[in-house]
Amino acid sequence: MNIQKILALVKVQLKKLIREPATLFLMILFPAMLTFFFGLGFVGIIPDPIGHPEVTQFDVMVPGLYAFVCIFIIMTVAMTFSEDRERGLLRRMNTTPLSSGEFMGSHVITNTFISVIQVVIVVGLSFLMGYKGDIGGLGIAFIFMIFLSVCSVGLGLITATIAKTPGAATGISFIFIMPQMFLGTYIIPPTGVTQVISMFLPSAYVTDGITMLFNGVPLTNPLIWIKLATVALISVAIVIVGIQLFKKYGNK
Amino acid sequence: MVIKEVSTKLNNPQDIFDPDGENAIIIKDLVKKFDDVIAVNGLNLEIKKGELFGLLGPNGAGKTTTINVLSGLLKPSEGTAYVGGYDVRNDLKKIKELIGVCPQEASVFKFLTGRENIELFGNLHGMPKKKIKERTNSLLKLANFTEASKRKAKGYSGGMTRQLNLLIALISDPKIAFLDEPTVGMDARARRKTWEFIGSLKEQNKTVILTTHYIEEAEALSDRVGIIDYGELIALGTPKELMEKHDAKNLEEVFLKITGRRIMEGI
Repeated sequence: MNIQKILALVKVQLKKLIREPATLFLMILFPAMLTFFFGLGFVGIIPDPIGHPEVTQFDVMVPGLYAFVCIFIIMTVAMTFSEDRERGLLRRMNTTPLSSGEFMGSHVITNTFISVIQVVIVVGLSFLMGYKGDIGGLGIAFIFMIFLSVCSVGLGLITATIAKTPGAATGISFIFIMPQMFLGTYIIPPTGVTQVISMFLPSAYVTDGITMLFNGVPLTNPLIWIKLATVALISVAIVIVGIQLFKKYGNK
Repeated sequence: MVIKEVSTKLNNPQDIFDPDGENAIIIKDLVKKFDDVIAVNGLNLEIKKGELFGLLGPNGAGKTTTINVLSGLLKPSEGTAYVGGYDVRNDLKKIKELIGVCPQEASVFKFLTGRENIELFGNLHGMPKKKIKERTNSLLKLANFTEASKRKAKGYSGGMTRQLNLLIALISDPKIAFLDEPTVGMDARARRKTWEFIGSLKEQNKTVILTTHYIEEAEALSDRVGIIDYGELIALGTPKELMEKHDAKNLEEVFLKITGRRIMEGI
């Protein structure tokens, strides 16, 4: 692993984030707007006025919003890889001594970094909008988000493997985005059926874990660590599958 | 037949692996198939160190496929090739350290400036920062591209993008450069300027493999020319030798005579 090569690619991907309006919107402005509008719409709604009159609908939704923003990494990764492939850039980079580990590593680092920025924005904005969670567990919440970002990179790679064009990649990415977004973040209130489905969705473990942390559940509670370990395992498995599939079938 | 002459030359096994010899590239019985389509069909060829070799052929003749195999983008179906003494089947990492590739399609990051594009590929080759700066500056100066390199590639004309495409290939100061139709889409003036630039590589003792559709380009630049068709080498020699052999006024006539005859003969 050559750090110089990885950092050079990370720098390029971050420049893309800043210089390409569509990427900037999707990665930075979209999470901010989402938090703002959800805050505006749900901060005044009390779902359980008798039992918990202090808890607003927005308080219930915020942990899911944190997961929500990381899920969109699937689309940006899929688009980036498809575009780079279409423009012949992947082939060109393949003629240099860059290893696939260095190349994939740069994408994991960049997207993890972007997810940290996204979470900082969403956390800051949600508190400004009136969220009342316990920020004691914020550090562990970040780790949950980082694993979900890694998972999203893997799903983005799987999408880019299937898709032939960047346009197709955008569409296909929703196969992975939609269930995670609606069934794994509790933006939609959970039912018996959605809870069963969510057992297979990494975003559900992230939302549950962050909800527990922000509800003040102590870190000594093993359930938090079990959820974190589950997300970590799923994410590592998915990113490995994504890298292998893309290397074998996607880089053509 | 030229093919027979080339094959005979390579019959001695000592000729195959040639790390310290006079050849930069040795292609031995190379076959590349895509399902049932044979893109390269038993190609044998030697390219000398410091030589500017023109690879000519009609569309779909197998020029780009050959370059893709030599640069490690495709695996040979049969046979092999040695680039700088390293086998394309086993030593790709070493080969990639030696080569610079200018692909047929202009592959540049549009949101980066020209300079950033060039420097990025310097980094991907693992060059020291200082050397990247120096080499970038000298390339930009040589190509008269310094001012343009400050702008994002998104705003470049087609010709400028192709120029950048070529400069990126040369950032690592490669010993062997594969230039796959580097001037396609350039206007006559830009093409002439690029010819001068490619000619200057010869002075730097680089081995250059140039594929082109512009026969006059190959004639003006190449020390030797190989014409391939249907994945087979059908002519090999200096432009002068080929013109004499085929009683032609220029290389274009040679090209038309050889490839046209094959069409007439139904080969």
